[in-house]
Amino acid sequence: MTADPDVRLDGVRKRFGTVTAVDGVTLDIPRGTIFSLLGPSGCGKTTTLRLIAGFEQPDAGNVYIRGERVTSVPPYRRNFSMVFQSYALFPHFTVAENVAFGLRMHRVPRRERAKSVADALALVKLDALADRYPRQLSGGQQQRVALARAIVVKPAVLLLDEPLGALDKMLREEMQVELRSLQQRLRITAVFVTHDQEEALTLSDRVAVMRNGAIEQVGAPRDIYDLPRNEFVAAFLGASNFVDGEIVARDGEHAIVETASGRMPLRADAAIGTRVRIAVRPERLRIDRSEGDGMKARIRDVVYRGPVTHYYLESAVGPLLSYRQDARADTWSIGDEVCAGFDAESGVVLDATSR
Amino acid sequence: MKGRFSWLLVAPPLATALVFFVAPVAYLFWVSLHTPSASELYGKALTIANYANVLGDSFYLAIIRRTLGVAAAILALCLLIGYPVAYVIARLSPRCRMIALLALLFPLMVSNVVRAYGWVALLGRQGVINNSLRDLRLADAPLDLLYTTPAVVVALMTILLPYMTISIANSLTALDRRYEEAAQALGASPWRTFVHVTLPLSTPGVASGMLLVFLLTLSAYVTITLLGGPRSKLLVSLVYDGVGAFQWPHAAALAFILLAIALAVTGIILAILRPGRVQGARR
Repeated sequence: MTADPDVRLDGVRKRFGTVTAVDGVTLDIPRGTIFSLLGPSGCGKTTTLRLIAGFEQPDAGNVYIRGERVTSVPPYRRNFSMVFQSYALFPHFTVAENVAFGLRMHRVPRRERAKSVADALALVKLDALADRYPRQLSGGQQQRVALARAIVVKPAVLLLDEPLGALDKMLREEMQVELRSLQQRLRITAVFVTHDQEEALTLSDRVAVMRNGAIEQVGAPRDIYDLPRNEFVAAFLGASNFVDGEIVARDGEHAIVETASGRMPLRADAAIGTRVRIAVRPERLRIDRSEGDGMKARIRDVVYRGPVTHYYLESAVGPLLSYRQDARADTWSIGDEVCAGFDAESGVVLDATSR
Repeated sequence: MKGRFSWLLVAPPLATALVFFVAPVAYLFWVSLHTPSASELYGKALTIANYANVLGDSFYLAIIRRTLGVAAAILALCLLIGYPVAYVIARLSPRCRMIALLALLFPLMVSNVVRAYGWVALLGRQGVINNSLRDLRLADAPLDLLYTTPAVVVALMTILLPYMTISIANSLTALDRRYEEAAQALGASPWRTFVHVTLPLSTPGVASGMLLVFLLTLSAYVTITLLGGPRSKLLVSLVYDGVGAFQWPHAAALAFILLAIALAVTGIILAILRPGRVQGARR
C-alpha cells in the first residue's frame, strides 16, 4: 500500500444527545480496495459512513478524501457517491434518468452523458431496462440501478450502506460476487457497511470490526477471522469456543496452558503465570475417541447441516462446539464420551483487557 | 364467496352515494334541460337555451372569467405562502410539527361568517384601515377596500391557506430524506436538490392542496357575498340569485357549468402535476 489513502478518518467523534455514536475512529482506506465496516446494529458503522459522506458533522476529528480535508465541506462538494440500503432511486425518473442524474449535476454535456449512462447500464447488465421506472423493477434490478447511478460519476470513493440487505440470500450472494468483480475491474475505492460477517469476509480487502462507536480490530478478512484480538471479534465473526486457562510453562515458542481439562500447547508470547482466554474456531476443534489426549467431553447434541455436522459438547471447560465436514468418517452420537482437541496454531490467545 | 361478502360491505355506502348524490345530480341535469315555468319546478319543453343563454352572454362570461381569476390568484398565493411554511414545518421535530399543525388549524375553528365580518370591520369605509389612514393623514377620502375582488381573494386565501399548507407538509413529512441525500451524494446543491427531487416528490401534496383550495374557492359563498358585495359576484352567487328568483332550470344550468369547470380544472391540475408518477416515494 504505497499509494495515499483515498479516505482518512482522524480521531473522528460524533455524539447524538447523550449517545456517543462514533468514539474517536481513526482509519486509512487505501486506493482501490473494498473496506468493510462490520458490526452489530448501533455500533456506529453507518454513522461513520455518513461522516465520510458529510451527512453528519463530526464533533471532533477530521475527514479526508483523496488527501483533501473535507470536514466542513458540504456533501455535494465531496468526491464520493453512495448506494443506500433502500436504494433511494428517484421514483419520478426512469432508470436512465436516474443514472444520468449525477452527470447532470456535474454538468457533463448531454452527448457524453448518454454514452456514460449506456456504459454504466451495460456494466450492470440493465441496458434493456433503461426506460423503465424504478417501481417496475425487482429488488435486485433496483440494486443494480443504484450501483450504476453511483459508479457512473467516477467517485473517489463509493460508499455502500448495507446495499444488499434487502435482497434474499441467493441474490445477495450472487450480488456479492458481482460487486467484487465490478470493483476490481473499475479499481474503485469502496467503503462497505454491513452487519453480515460472511458478506464482509467475502467482499472485503480489509475489515474493521466496530462496537460501541469504536474499532475493535482492523485487518484482512483472514486475519480477522483466524486471529481475532478479543472475545467480541471472535464471537461476532462466526462461532467460537472459549477456553480459560493459565500459562504454566514454556516450550520454545509454545506456551503450555493449564485448563480445567488438562494441559495443552499454544502459540503465545505471554509470560508464565498469565491467565488467558483462548478462542478456537469450531472447525478447528477435533473430536477423537476418548483415549486420545485433549479435553474430555461428552456429545450433548448432533445437528446435521448438510455439508457440515455440528457437534455440541459438554466438558469441564464449559460447552464446546465442533464442526465436522465428513460426517461418515467418524460419526458420533449423543452421549458418546469423546476427546476434544486442537492444534497449537488453532488456539488464539485473546486480549484479556478488552473483553 | 369472499367477493360476494366484500360486495355486501360496500353496498350500503354505494347505495347511499347513488341515492343521495348520483340521482340528484342526474335529476339536476334533467331540470337544467327544460324551459322555466312560473308555477312548476321546470317547464314541459326540452331546451338547451339555459346553457346557451349563459355561455352566449358577456355578463355571465365575465363572471366565469372573474371566478377563474379569483381561483387562480388564491391558488398562486396559497402555493407561494403555503409551500415554504410547509417545508419548514416538515423539518421540525415531530412534537413541534404537531404544535405547528394545530396552530394552522386553529383559524378554521372560527366560523367563516365571523371571519368575514372581521374583514368587514378591517376594510370598511369606517373600518380600522381607513380610520388609521385618515388619522395619520395619509388619505383624504376613505379607500374602497371592501366589496372588491382583491378583498375576496385575500379573505378567501387566508381561510384556505391551511388546507394547502397541511397537505404539502404531510407530503414533505412522508418523504424519505434518503432521496435528498442521494441527490446530494450525486453532486446536487441544496437548491438543485429541491428543484429536481424534493419539489417533484411533493407533487401529491401540492396536487391535493391545490384541488382542495380550488374546489373550496368555487363553493365558497359567505366570504364572497359579505366581502365581494354586488359588484364582485362569482358563479356561485349567480346560482343563489337564480334560485332566489325561482329560475330553477337556469340555476341548474349554472350549477352544471360550475361542475364542468371544477372537473376540467381538476383534470388540468392532475395532468400537469401527475402525482401518480411518484407513487412508492413514501417510506
